[in-house]
Amino acid sequence: MTSTDTGQRRRGSDARPVITELIDEMTILAIAEEAWVSLVGEDEVLVPIPSELPGDILSSWVDVVGPWTGSVVLTTGRATAEELSRALLRESAPELLDDEDVADAFGEIANVVGGSIKAALPGPSGLSLPQVGNAPLVRNAGDLCRVDVVWRGEPLTISVQGALPPLPVPTPSRENEVPL
Amino acid sequence: MRALVIDDSRAMRRIVTGILTNLGYEVRDAGHGGEGLDVLNEGWVPDLATIDWNMPVMDGLQFVSAVRSNPAWRRMTMMMVTSESEHTQIVRALAAGAHEYMIKPFTADAFRDKLALLGLLPQEVAL
Amino acid sequence: MSLTATSFDWVRELVRKESAIVLQPGKEYLVEARLLPIARQMGLPDVGKLVETVRVRPSAEDTRRIVEALTTNETSWFRDGDPFTALTSTVLPSLLSSRGANERLQIWSAACSSGQEPYTIAMLLDDVLPNAASRVSITATDLSREMVQRTRAGKFSQLEVNRGLPAPMLVRHFQRAGNEWEVSSNLRRMVNATECNLAAPLPRMGPFDVVYLRNVLIYFDLPTKQSILRRVRDLMRPDGWLFLGAAETTLGVDDSWERVVIGRSSAYRPLKGK
Repeated sequence: MTSTDTGQRRRGSDARPVITELIDEMTILAIAEEAWVSLVGEDEVLVPIPSELPGDILSSWVDVVGPWTGSVVLTTGRATAEELSRALLRESAPELLDDEDVADAFGEIANVVGGSIKAALPGPSGLSLPQVGNAPLVRNAGDLCRVDVVWRGEPLTISVQGALPPLPVPTPSRENEVPL
Repeated sequence: MRALVIDDSRAMRRIVTGILTNLGYEVRDAGHGGEGLDVLNEGWVPDLATIDWNMPVMDGLQFVSAVRSNPAWRRMTMMMVTSESEHTQIVRALAAGAHEYMIKPFTADAFRDKLALLGLLPQEVAL
Repeated sequence: MSLTATSFDWVRELVRKESAIVLQPGKEYLVEARLLPIARQMGLPDVGKLVETVRVRPSAEDTRRIVEALTTNETSWFRDGDPFTALTSTVLPSLLSSRGANERLQIWSAACSSGQEPYTIAMLLDDVLPNAASRVSITATDLSREMVQRTRAGKFSQLEVNRGLPAPMLVRHFQRAGNEWEVSSNLRRMVNATECNLAAPLPRMGPFDVVYLRNVLIYFDLPTKQSILRRVRDLMRPDGWLFLGAAETTLGVDDSWERVVIGRSSAYRPLKGK
């Protein structure tokens, strides 16, 4: 993880934590694995290896608002999102999945993963309803924890990313100011 | 036995409905708490309601409180089925009147275990 | 040879007939996983061969082992809650009236797996006894070192706490620890976990007032069952209580026990003079 964190942002009383201080890749992977085993299927494994996402991708995410504020984002190829939705619905999957079915099922997986991640973070926090589409931008590369996995041979990423830009680093001249 | 499945996700409604139907339940579903209340107001009062927490229009906690305020719906068992999994959230839901709490993700086996705890598992059990 | 559709159907029909439990299509993996230890013990390479053997030469003993292996559930908390109800309704009041106020009650969870059983007992006692931590000691043993370590840690995944643990008990006795749930230190102090092989001479323990030996005997042949029951009895108080799995019994195995019906479950008590 590249980070320009100088530690200064944690000095003031208004300091807010970045995600890497709160959760690690192992925990995110464990949470995702639990979700996969119970929702997608008992033999469904997530292999933690990085792999290139295809051009046509879809994201689903939920926002967490609390002591840490950001989003839990799942991103994968559109076709994989559809396969994931079908696996989730199993025998109750309709013959033809429309976009709304995929958005709903893929969004629900983000909701479940996001709920578990939220519970592992300091609270109290609120959880938004899931959204599906183009993922929110990464606002602060230092406030990001991302896990790359492969499911049924297809790449998928789980990104826990802060919603706020980095705090301005105080300039030395201001820091040395003597309060009156 | 009858169950009302309340969840804003169609996929989750289908999954829970599938589990309960396999157990012999007659199931209806609703996309949020308000729709759930509509079903109850029709006079279709189930033995069990499974309730998501975060939903548009009326969330699960508001639904539980609304049910609790109507004595006619007293005998209905309410189980939250939600991805909200913090200690304080579970306490809040139980305090509002929910009887049980199932954290997503769950398996069909876990669902049956909860129904067994609630005394709502039909006699001939599907393993 | 792995499990064929015909073999699966045969197991399915057997289990339905014997236990009223219906194995649904798609549960082949469960049949494989649960029956493999039995196949191995019988010196057979796989579950397919086991089914074939029992079909060709049916025996009551093998049939029962198959049914029991498929109808027990090791990993949930209160499922098959009757032996726990019996603890608080009957066993505990009886022990409290016959033991001194300062006498520590000793309970043994003899196949504790990852700890669900000993902590279930601890939670129940903590809810009804004001000074449970000083009044009760729970010995949890398992053959597996990993299981003993897990029991000691007292941490459970989200999936594990979903398996039959009532939500009011979860919030009363557990705290979040990252993505897991950790049992309270109060309960952890009541439980001592240690390795123990039931089929070998037992370490010095007890004497126990209550023993939970559930879904263990099914994995052993008759002589081993007999010697396990004898050794367990030697570690029990003369007026102690033994709980077995729902489908297990001492009847026809060891006649030195008296069966006592408590509600919907049964306990076994050492017969005097045996």
